[in-house]
Amino acid sequence: MSTPVVQTDDAGTAGTAPVLELRDVAVHFGGVKAVDGISLQLEPGRIYGIIGPNGSGKSTLIAGITRLTGLTRGELLLDGQPVHDVAPSRLAGRGVARTFQTVRLLADLTVRANVQIGADARADGGRSRRGPTGWLRPGATSPAVADAIARTRLEGFEDHYPAELSYGTQRRVEIARAIAMGPRLLLLDEPTAGMNQTERAEISALMRSMRTGGLCQLLVEHDVQMMIDTCDYVFAMNSGRLIAQGAPAEVVRDPAVQEAYLGRKWREHADGD
Amino acid sequence: MSDFFNANLVLVQSTLTGLLLALSIQVPLRMGVFSFAGAGSYGIGAYATGILVLRYEMDALPAIALTALGTAVIGLLLGALISRLGGLYLAMATVAFDLIISVIAINGGELTGASTGLFGIITDFTTGQMFVLTVAVLALVAMSEVGRLGRRVDTVRDDPELAASMGINVRRYRLAAFVVSGALGGLAGGMNVLVRSTVGPLDIGFGLIVLALTMIIVGGSRSWKGALIGAVIFTWLPDLLTVIGEWQELVYGVIVAVAAIFLPRGIYGVLQDGTRWVQRVRRDRRAAARGGPVVDADGGLRPQEDEAAVLVAQAAEQPVRELDQLSGRTQGAP
Amino acid sequence: MQDLVSVVTLGSVYLLFALGMSITWGTIDILNFAHGSVFMFSAFSASLVLERLTLGLVPVLLIGVVVGALMSVLIQVVAFEQIIKRARDRRTAEMQILIGGIGVAIIPLAIAQHHTQSNPFGLNASSFTVESISLGGLRITNIQVLTVLLALALWAAAAVWLRRSRQGLALRAIGVDAQTAALMGVDRRRLALVTMAVAGGMAGLSGVLFTFSLGAITPESGDTLLVKAFACIILGGVGSMLGVAFGAYLLAAAEVVILTQTNGSWVEAVSFGLIFLVLLVRPAGVFGRKEVRRT
Ligand SMILES: Nc1ncnc2c1ncn2[C@@H]1O[C@H](COP(=O)(O)OP(=O)(O)O)[C@@H](O)[C@H]1O
Ligand SMILES: [Mg+2]
Repeated sequence: MSTPVVQTDDAGTAGTAPVLELRDVAVHFGGVKAVDGISLQLEPGRIYGIIGPNGSGKSTLIAGITRLTGLTRGELLLDGQPVHDVAPSRLAGRGVARTFQTVRLLADLTVRANVQIGADARADGGRSRRGPTGWLRPGATSPAVADAIARTRLEGFEDHYPAELSYGTQRRVEIARAIAMGPRLLLLDEPTAGMNQTERAEISALMRSMRTGGLCQLLVEHDVQMMIDTCDYVFAMNSGRLIAQGAPAEVVRDPAVQEAYLGRKWREHADGD
Repeated sequence: MSDFFNANLVLVQSTLTGLLLALSIQVPLRMGVFSFAGAGSYGIGAYATGILVLRYEMDALPAIALTALGTAVIGLLLGALISRLGGLYLAMATVAFDLIISVIAINGGELTGASTGLFGIITDFTTGQMFVLTVAVLALVAMSEVGRLGRRVDTVRDDPELAASMGINVRRYRLAAFVVSGALGGLAGGMNVLVRSTVGPLDIGFGLIVLALTMIIVGGSRSWKGALIGAVIFTWLPDLLTVIGEWQELVYGVIVAVAAIFLPRGIYGVLQDGTRWVQRVRRDRRAAARGGPVVDADGGLRPQEDEAAVLVAQAAEQPVRELDQLSGRTQGAP
Repeated sequence: MQDLVSVVTLGSVYLLFALGMSITWGTIDILNFAHGSVFMFSAFSASLVLERLTLGLVPVLLIGVVVGALMSVLIQVVAFEQIIKRARDRRTAEMQILIGGIGVAIIPLAIAQHHTQSNPFGLNASSFTVESISLGGLRITNIQVLTVLLALALWAAAAVWLRRSRQGLALRAIGVDAQTAALMGVDRRRLALVTMAVAGGMAGLSGVLFTFSLGAITPESGDTLLVKAFACIILGGVGSMLGVAFGAYLLAAAEVVILTQTNGSWVEAVSFGLIFLVLLVRPAGVFGRKEVRRT
């Protein structure tokens, strides 16, 4: 790859000043306390995981971080700067990229054009190779897009439309679009849902390969093995709160975490009988 | 050619104004803004240009320029007021705006000529100038459909939330839709009054919305080419339909209804689907020749099957529950 | 006092017309822009029949109701069901229904315009004659009395229907949450057809009554009424039965005031202005239950 997609950290040192800091962040929907007082710090070059049963507030937390949902209270600091008042669209320019829990591709655009939307958000527009008119030649792939497509192994699908792709491949396009933004903070909401084991391993390898550039990643994931294989540090959520954090293997063994998953399952089990 | 042109001068002129009017409603639609304010801007534009020429003795081009600027500003103000409303509410607010303009025209006394309107608006405005202006505007609109801007407009329409997280200021785009719509509508109204030399309250109003929508629905809502197809069809069709005779209005209505129901992206959408199909066939043939992927690599599992497959697999491997997965895998890990 | 009579009679016409629109919009999410042409075409059909037969009041009213209901069901089956079937999501369906309604409405308008050469048509051929009666110094016509009574009765019936009956319950379930309704085993399609029939019947009835009391209407008169009905609905709040009555009489009152205070040409602006004002100040309407979706 000629151009690195992931911007290198200017300080060049991983694990120093946090990229993102949350201070007592809460998001309430009427009476539903989807996120209820979460504080955490994410450092560059590391991969963080969030686990928690369905409805524990993981997606809402990401919506709060990306400002798509207003915060009920709390502070959001990006590189030490408060961002809880800036428009969501400003965050992209400051290096925040995300995927959604559901596939959200534009049906009328090809894979290439969908990924290009991510590159469009870069300061250079991802268009370092312009035609004489300043427009990308039709059919041409900008370097940032080519790189993102290569990393997500989408070569050969550039001219396909989303409806022609399998669910797992569609999800890879989503990830490619986010990578093409050249982020410093990448938030992935259950990116491997609907993928098979091979594909999961590929996404895990992809995430680890991007860590070297100083990229900070936050992964929401249910698959424990994937979590352990991928993440440096894991937060466990339940009912909008953090109930455990630490090394993945330890968090997963934490009684409170097991209770959060198990208690619910047991109750469902009992109700079912 | 020029004989044809002279014989059909009125129709050529109507095509151009119709096209701009259709664009004034199509541009916001393309951004997901369901606004009919373009029809109101057309009314304002027609009267404003008329008044500038009649009462202030302005020349055609300055009058038109000033008119378009004015309707763009009015569009901005209107947008600032109502662009936060969603869907049908926004649509109806703009319908109300259009109809208020008609009522003002009737009640404008001497300024607007009340129910008789304005007449004798004579300038040196030529059809050539009209043509050049329209083509220039068309080029600008066409540029908003390709490249980065085109993708951004598509994103704002299809998924505003996604757009925001892709760094697109959705509110700014929605406001821009109102401004562009205002300028286009004003321009259309202004040019029309200059070539017709008259405007009255009956020329503006609900009928304009229907006319513009008709052109867009039948031609196509996603591209200026669709608006052009629609404008040509509905300017020339009534003339051709005189063959069909007295039932032309009915035929016209049936065409619109059928297109609205069965061709939501209009004639241009059908053409587009056709070219896409050809491209796809060619692409797959090329790929097959190279030995690359023809169908999706992992067998094209659809989402539902996929989820079901995952569930079945889970049920088979982990009959008890997720904790087994939790603790079992963890213990297995080094 | 005579003005009060005007307010009540005008408001009743608006109510009768807006009631159908309000029910379909509030329950099955259809803002039917062809409602105005159903209104006009029902009266037009009655006038066609009267060219051949001499009928009294009740048969003429029945013709209006039946034609209105049939047209409405036809539009639902041929247009709206097809659009909903093909639409990608609710947002696009909503818009295409609005546009589709405008498109479909062209057809009856074209037929009526062709037949009448765009001149006003009336129901004078009926054996029923409009007569003025005097009630304690107030002048009111028999048809006005009938309009007021029918509007209030049908309004009350619709409210009870929506609140009490099983069908009403199912309809309200659809209005509240389509998914829950489907789970409860509500046959959405049949209910939608019944709702459209009821709404169309009311439009037809109001068309005949309105034509009787005005003497004649033009084929284009449905369009203006449509926008006024929209004003009535959002004034009170979409889906609220109390709201639509409130909206109808408030709009009538505002128009009568403007009519008596000015030379009359500003009357049309009242409803348009009210729409604007309500949407800016209180988009959910006075009695609205639903939050207006904003983007
Ligand atoms: N827009 C919303 N309005 C109301 N409640 C919401 C909204 N979004 C999420 N919730 C509620 O917040 C809770 C957390 O949801 P979510 O963040 O999606 O959980 P997770 O991603 O962990 O499965 C759930 O109870 C959900 O119903
Ligand atoms: Mg989630």
